[in-house]
Amino acid sequence: MNARHPGPTSDRYRLEQMDADADLMVLNFGPQHPSTHGVFRIKLILDGEVVVRAIPYAGYLHRGVEKLLERLTFAQGVPIVDKNDYVAPMTNEQALVMAFEKLLKIEVPRRARWMRTIFAELQRIASHMLWLGTFALDMGGALGGGSGVFIYTFRERDYILDLFEMVTGGRFHYNTHTIGGNRHDIPPGWDREVTKVLDLIESRLPEYEAMSSNNAIFVARTKGVGVIDKELALGLGLTGPILRASGVDFDLRRDAPYHAYDELKVNVATATAGDCQARAQVRVAELRDSIRLVRQGLAGLPEGGINGGKPIKMPQQFKTMTGQAYVGIDTPRGELGTFVVAGGGDKGTAPYRCKIRAPSLHALSALPWILPGHTVSDVVVILGSLDPIMGEVDR
Amino acid sequence: MQGLLRGLVYGGLIITVLMTATAWGMWLERKLAARMQSRIGPNVVGKFGLLQPVADLMKLLQKEEIYPIGADRLLFDLAPFLVTTFAIATAAVVPFSAEAVGADLDVGLLWVLALGGLMVIPVWMAGWASNNKFALIGGMRAVAQSISYGVPLVLTSLVAVVFTGTMSLSGIVKFQIEHGWLALWPPGPGVVAFVLFYMALLAESNRIPFDIPEAESELVAGITTEYTGMKFGLLYVGEYVHTMVGSAIAAVIFLGGWDGPFHIASGLHWMVIKTVALFASVYWVRWSLLRFRSDQLMRLCWLYLVPVSLGLVVFAALWRHFVLR
Amino acid sequence: MGYLLDSIRALGVTAKNIGRKPVTVQFPKVIRERQERYRTSFALLKDEQGEERCVGCLACERICPSQIIHMSSTKKESPVTGKKRGYLDDFTLDMTACIFCELCVQVCPFDAIVMLKVPHEPGYVREDLVLTMAKLYENAEKPLTWGNGTKLMEMQEPPKPAPAQAAAPVPAPAAAPVPAAVPVPAAAPAPAPVPVPASAAAAEPAKTEAP
Repeated sequence: MNARHPGPTSDRYRLEQMDADADLMVLNFGPQHPSTHGVFRIKLILDGEVVVRAIPYAGYLHRGVEKLLERLTFAQGVPIVDKNDYVAPMTNEQALVMAFEKLLKIEVPRRARWMRTIFAELQRIASHMLWLGTFALDMGGALGGGSGVFIYTFRERDYILDLFEMVTGGRFHYNTHTIGGNRHDIPPGWDREVTKVLDLIESRLPEYEAMSSNNAIFVARTKGVGVIDKELALGLGLTGPILRASGVDFDLRRDAPYHAYDELKVNVATATAGDCQARAQVRVAELRDSIRLVRQGLAGLPEGGINGGKPIKMPQQFKTMTGQAYVGIDTPRGELGTFVVAGGGDKGTAPYRCKIRAPSLHALSALPWILPGHTVSDVVVILGSLDPIMGEVDR
Repeated sequence: MQGLLRGLVYGGLIITVLMTATAWGMWLERKLAARMQSRIGPNVVGKFGLLQPVADLMKLLQKEEIYPIGADRLLFDLAPFLVTTFAIATAAVVPFSAEAVGADLDVGLLWVLALGGLMVIPVWMAGWASNNKFALIGGMRAVAQSISYGVPLVLTSLVAVVFTGTMSLSGIVKFQIEHGWLALWPPGPGVVAFVLFYMALLAESNRIPFDIPEAESELVAGITTEYTGMKFGLLYVGEYVHTMVGSAIAAVIFLGGWDGPFHIASGLHWMVIKTVALFASVYWVRWSLLRFRSDQLMRLCWLYLVPVSLGLVVFAALWRHFVLR
Repeated sequence: MGYLLDSIRALGVTAKNIGRKPVTVQFPKVIRERQERYRTSFALLKDEQGEERCVGCLACERICPSQIIHMSSTKKESPVTGKKRGYLDDFTLDMTACIFCELCVQVCPFDAIVMLKVPHEPGYVREDLVLTMAKLYENAEKPLTWGNGTKLMEMQEPPKPAPAQAAAPVPAPAAAPVPAAVPVPAAAPAPAPVPVPASAAAAEPAKTEAP
């Protein structure tokens, strides 16, 4: 790629090119390892404790979601994708449902669009909270200060899940979006609960920051570690907070508005350093901005119907033989794209092909470029800063 | 013959009391950590979960012993016992009160430091014998860390030795009863020496923020990765005993041992209170901070702790020479 | 030095949390109150006359994404109404593969299958996780969740407004989204005194358009 990132295939990292006397060790990092955020394996070639080469292996959590979507009809496919990105499940539904709506040319009512915005931002808060906790866990260990931050953020995230439970009845697998709108309307008094939770989170954010992202030890561990520069980030197709931390001011919510983002003002947080600290800063800033967006969304929530299409009554009710659609939305991890081609199933009742572009997979593809030269301790930090969700990577 | 009997009695007493204290020290830590994290902690076994250590012991005793393929069996078996032995042996010279001391050696402090230094050998044995790369890296880190942090530990103890002019631990306490606690009395340097000693203690007993040998998020469980059952338990207990004895020694050297504040009601209880407070504070720190990276740890030690403790030794010598006479 | 100060701040945070009440819910002893819409296990309902609601129309079997519902039915004369209708011979729902999507509840035209608020009890063998017809009818005694087919449908597709209001041809809610004239501020939740959130709130814009 360039001088700073020679790339995993360049001669510099080819094993036979390495000094024959060099005492290299192969360390299989994962798939069962406390810090790989699921089942993920990196083959690390170490010189002492310094990584010389890193070869990531994904696919341990493959469940064939894309194939399933071809087999199930449009109506049945929506609850399946909840399980992809299991930290922000609603965003999966939204990406899929929006692609289906575009394909089937169904208009979404304004209220449903605003509700989706609120849900998406709440999911972003929940996801970033979980990320902050696990990131601290990577740095402070399960038997240390990291677990403190982890449990604090988990505690507050649970209140957000309670909010979702109030609306949808599910804590994790919601199936609240349907083709054409939403399935569940917001119950009365829900906005008061949301405000309460947001106030709580906002008041406790400084505490987490004192223990993690503003802490000198945190800064020492993250500053200058795992630098992804602008060129590499763009070259690998990184999106979301990772791209923004590398100095690219790009956010789908602002630059290609969907949902109700065209009516709301999104403050896009960016940083230029591209290291783990910058990614952490961007995410914490996004957390704050999301709290603001949810408040704004609740204040402007319009009345009206929540479903512009026909509620699901039978599996074959949506049909189309022609067309294809791509929709990308900005999830907490980056651009989650869904590409659908019509004409599958029984006379077009299912997608012929449904491709999901997972941001985490692209984020992980940066590992071979940025890991060499760092120690084993940094591997954990870098992996944590990329915030990969294995369910989404392997699908 | 009488000396042997006395030794046996004291030895048995120290092992029993120390192991019991450590077991409930673990309970204390778990409760404390739980409350810090908005949890409840052990509360099922016995009242307030007080029997939890017993239940843990029972569980560990029942577990299957597993030897990894290619493990060096002798070293693998020996390491946990040596860790615990060295940790307990240190306690022999700790004066819990004017009378309650196992062996009041003239070079008690030297004994403590020497045994603390020896701890690195069984830890490395455990890391090497496991035939596991994570354990190996953990062992290597442990050696590097123990050797590095041994230096500030010795130097800060030397501050106390220079002040008091004795290496006997009870001698140090008696001096403090006479002149005031070392952590407070030469105002400033005493506190610095205490803080440095405390940090070195955290590093020696592998506690966060200096717990890179274990580093469970990076090295799975470091040297204990391959250990199961009671051998794991012994490694674990060894660390706790080490911390406990370390806290006791910190209390002796810098906090006046069994001397009460303003000499109020001096006695064994003050020593116990100080030790438990220091022990708890180690875990307070443990559950609050993140971890350093190994190279940062080394830099912190050699660039800051060692020079500062050297300066403290010089200061102590000057103070001793010009002020105390 | 920065390390020391920040460490002390972090110590302060943990110390502060010692004072906070533990949030742990000790599950088997304490069961936290579930939300109204919380959904886990399933039940089959009977109507007021004690007759089974399910007629074996296969709607839920067809919609189920995991394909875990299987049923068979025969047509018989009803002892209550005397009309001929379907009766279940067998109905199984395999909880081992259920993804709790609530689609079977939504599609049921007779509100026969509903979900429970209490979780399915864990079992010792796989068969314990397969809900048979007898188990499903027993489950009807347990606390039920809010949703059933009709309510879920109403929430998404509010019923046509009354004839008086519908003097002006109101477009079907399914066809075009109804833009709300004024966004309602969040500070005043549910401004109109509407007890049922879904149907009433959704019917409101139709009123504004009528004149």
